[in-house]
Amino acid sequence: MSRPVNPHAMAPARAGSTRTAPPSVPDGFWSAPRMRRYLIFDATGITYLLIGLLILRVAWALGSGPEAWQALLQQFRHPAYLGFHLLVLLSVIVVGLRFFGLFPKAQPPKIGPVTPPPGPVIHAMLYAAWGALTLGLVLVLGGFLP
Amino acid sequence: MSDVQKKKFIVTRFDPDKDQVPKTQEYTIPVKPDWKVLDALNYIKDEVDGSISHRWSCRMAVCGSCGMLVNGEPKLTCSTALSDYGDEVHIAPLSNFPVIRDLVVDIEGFMDKFKSVKPWIIRAKEKAVEEGPCRQTPEELHAFKQFSMCINCMLCYAACPVVSNVPEFLGPAAIALGHRYNLDSRDEGAGERNEVFRGEGTIFECSFANECSEVCPKSVDPAAAINQAKLLAVVDWAKSFVVPRGGDK
Amino acid sequence: MEVFRHDLVIVGGGGAGLRAAIAVVEADPKASVALVSKVYPMRSHTVSAEGGAAAVAAPDDSLEMHFKDTVKGSDFLADQDCVDYFVDHAVEELTLLEHWGCPWSRDADGRVAVRAFGGMTAKRTWYAADKVGFHMLHTLFQTSMRYDRIVRYDEQFVTKLLIEDGVVKGVVALDVREGVPRAILGRAVILTTGGAGKCFPFTTNGTIKTGDGMALAYRAGVGLKDMEFVQYHPTGLPGTGILITEASRGEGGYVINSEGERFLVTRDYGVGQKAELGPRDMISRAIMLEIAAGRGIKGSYGDFVQLDLRHLGEAKIMERLPFVRTLARTYAGVDPVFQPIPIRPVVHYMMGGIDTDIDGATTLPGLYAAGETACVSMNGANRLGSNSLTECLVFGARTGQKAIAYARGASAGNEAPLLRQAQEEAARIEELRGRRKGGERIAQIRREMQKTMEEGCGVYREQASMQESVRVMAQLRGRVADLQLEDASKVFNTEILTALELANMVDVAETIAVAAAARRESRGSHACNDYKTRNDQEFLHHSLVHFEPGGPRLSQKPVNITRFQPEERKY
Repeated sequence: MSRPVNPHAMAPARAGSTRTAPPSVPDGFWSAPRMRRYLIFDATGITYLLIGLLILRVAWALGSGPEAWQALLQQFRHPAYLGFHLLVLLSVIVVGLRFFGLFPKAQPPKIGPVTPPPGPVIHAMLYAAWGALTLGLVLVLGGFLP
Repeated sequence: MSDVQKKKFIVTRFDPDKDQVPKTQEYTIPVKPDWKVLDALNYIKDEVDGSISHRWSCRMAVCGSCGMLVNGEPKLTCSTALSDYGDEVHIAPLSNFPVIRDLVVDIEGFMDKFKSVKPWIIRAKEKAVEEGPCRQTPEELHAFKQFSMCINCMLCYAACPVVSNVPEFLGPAAIALGHRYNLDSRDEGAGERNEVFRGEGTIFECSFANECSEVCPKSVDPAAAINQAKLLAVVDWAKSFVVPRGGDK
Repeated sequence: MEVFRHDLVIVGGGGAGLRAAIAVVEADPKASVALVSKVYPMRSHTVSAEGGAAAVAAPDDSLEMHFKDTVKGSDFLADQDCVDYFVDHAVEELTLLEHWGCPWSRDADGRVAVRAFGGMTAKRTWYAADKVGFHMLHTLFQTSMRYDRIVRYDEQFVTKLLIEDGVVKGVVALDVREGVPRAILGRAVILTTGGAGKCFPFTTNGTIKTGDGMALAYRAGVGLKDMEFVQYHPTGLPGTGILITEASRGEGGYVINSEGERFLVTRDYGVGQKAELGPRDMISRAIMLEIAAGRGIKGSYGDFVQLDLRHLGEAKIMERLPFVRTLARTYAGVDPVFQPIPIRPVVHYMMGGIDTDIDGATTLPGLYAAGETACVSMNGANRLGSNSLTECLVFGARTGQKAIAYARGASAGNEAPLLRQAQEEAARIEELRGRRKGGERIAQIRREMQKTMEEGCGVYREQASMQESVRVMAQLRGRVADLQLEDASKVFNTEILTALELANMVDVAETIAVAAAARRESRGSHACNDYKTRNDQEFLHHSLVHFEPGGPRLSQKPVNITRFQPEERKY
């Protein structure tokens, strides 16, 4: 059994000389475990869209005076927002792990005159940067540092 | 014979003169333990049903003819062991391609994309034969060697979710082969190819699903090639504001 | 019927065909070339060649040495003017390929590396790891895409040459996808369709190697030369026949028997110091004799000996022979880093083929041939490994140049009789497709042909079994005429291709058997148990087989010996 895809997938520039059956994918194509992991990775884009909207909301509140700002902070105490932020954290981890895993092989042998470092070094640098940024944000936003 | 068992093969059939849409046909045949999936298909064609059409040639996974879906996954049937499968084996034509007949797909779309990346050495001035071969160190060879191993089997196209949805996308093998030439120290055509990469066949549609590299039988790792190519295409585009094209490589 | 018109038509899109096509458009910027192939060119069997391509490169090497190695390797049946031209132009061709992007393996200083190969007295085999044919074919194919005037006709099966007034003016090609024949006209036709290994049951060759071009020329009245010389490559996997490259011996591999003995060194098989790097015919015979003496290992696909690479170490194997490792694991279930590879001689290459001169011209005006399908003759009675990839380039180029020069001066002829012939051919194909009554399965006849050829024209031959092969082939010709087809459809009918290929193979197999039975001596790869020595007095000539309705007609052609007089072939 199969499912249709875009009817022009892999279509030749000139029409073929005989009638063809349209391109398709097999039934398990989109639901296979590996594909599902990729689709989840792609789907986290929705969380980033929502975060973007949230940032606009925060900016608007900031510009609307102290009462608006206090009201926003009050809203953020709602469990739904906590849940949303947990979802965002999960998305970032999913994307981070997957992206960091693939990032080294996306480095060409040379970028202009620069030779990118080997895979393990790139991994170390990425995770170190991630860790440092996270630590820094926690310290600053948690009030541990002025 | 004690080591002869039987397996059932469910093979997709399609004859445009007879069938509206593809259908399946079942064959149960004796199989040998060391057979590849291709051996079973050939047995069916030779002994049971001569009307099955499929492509194959070298039987050693280097000509790229025999790509098909085996139980839904893109495989080279000549190097896929039958013993990896149970009593029922589904054989279908490669996904994402128009189907000409039975297990034979139309690869002209691939040939168009392939040619569009100009997969040949481009140099401003042809080197004379009398000057002998170019010098190329083992490191320079290593830089692109992996991407030159593509046998054009198109399993990567069958696996790619972007190929399913974006007809203009150049696709893994074509991009990998274009990138192979961009990385070749003897080539001067990266500028031209990067224009193609950034143009209609935009390689930026790739969202790094990595399915292509998972199914590639030759470890070409087209996902690596595409994403390397993206970076280099952007660098090339940025450079074009600093160094006008024509004076540049 | 649809007609296409070009200046020149090339049939077969492998190494020789692609090189010829490029040579044509570079020699004549206005020429339009039809490249007609029954498969997409990157599927051509050139792709499976592994070991390398020979050309004099090292300072301690010389053209004279390459010349002498090749002529001696041919057991003095090679035409020496052709060998001279070949060694002279080998470097130029491989350099050109390098300019086109072929990823030759390199020494540390960036120069092209060379390796040792069988029968060569110096290291002169250029290589790209162990996938040279693959890289060469893809380089040629990708380069050919630059030229818009190379017009490709992919998946078109040529079934007949169109001849008017004794001059070839085009071909009839069956469009595999549409199931409709077409006429492709050109003022010259070059056949570069490869060999015919599929006439035998165990071969390194892919399924497409069915001698189509040889059969086309043969039926058109051109002689097939030296057909009895079939090369058995010493190291093929038992059963599948998949090639394990000679380079594995070139890099230092050992061939051992069931007792673990390097019998090519410890016993006298005529290869002397060269041991595993002796010429292919001698090594294949040595292996068969070891097996006959009971020192082979029993297997379900026949007895075999072993190729031991373990002492080379994983690093060297992964650098120089990575494909060999993959093949051994996938198709023999052994890892050569830890275990020896089972091997036995399998059919690999046809030294013989369409009779051509040094320009690739046949006796039929307008018809040319190059590559494995032709017999120039460069390889005589036995080919040295790594010479044939270079041969495809050198003679593909020369034949392309000569053919377009001829075509420029030739007339396109009168189309009407050509189209009439094409219509007759179309009717013949339709009749074949519609045939449903009586007859046998294609596979049945093919198996009988292959079995008979294995028994009659194996590594060692006997008069009695050769004569039997002759008889059986003649009988099979009649049975092929009665074939039964199950597939009546037009669109991508591969059964009709298989039937047409079988007819070609039976014709070619018949010429092999007839030529073999007539050569009452042993020379090169033709080892006859009834006549065990080389007989220069009576048999220092090329054999020629011509088609006649009553049965093949034999004749001879002298060998062009210029400066290397035949001597005893000792290593």
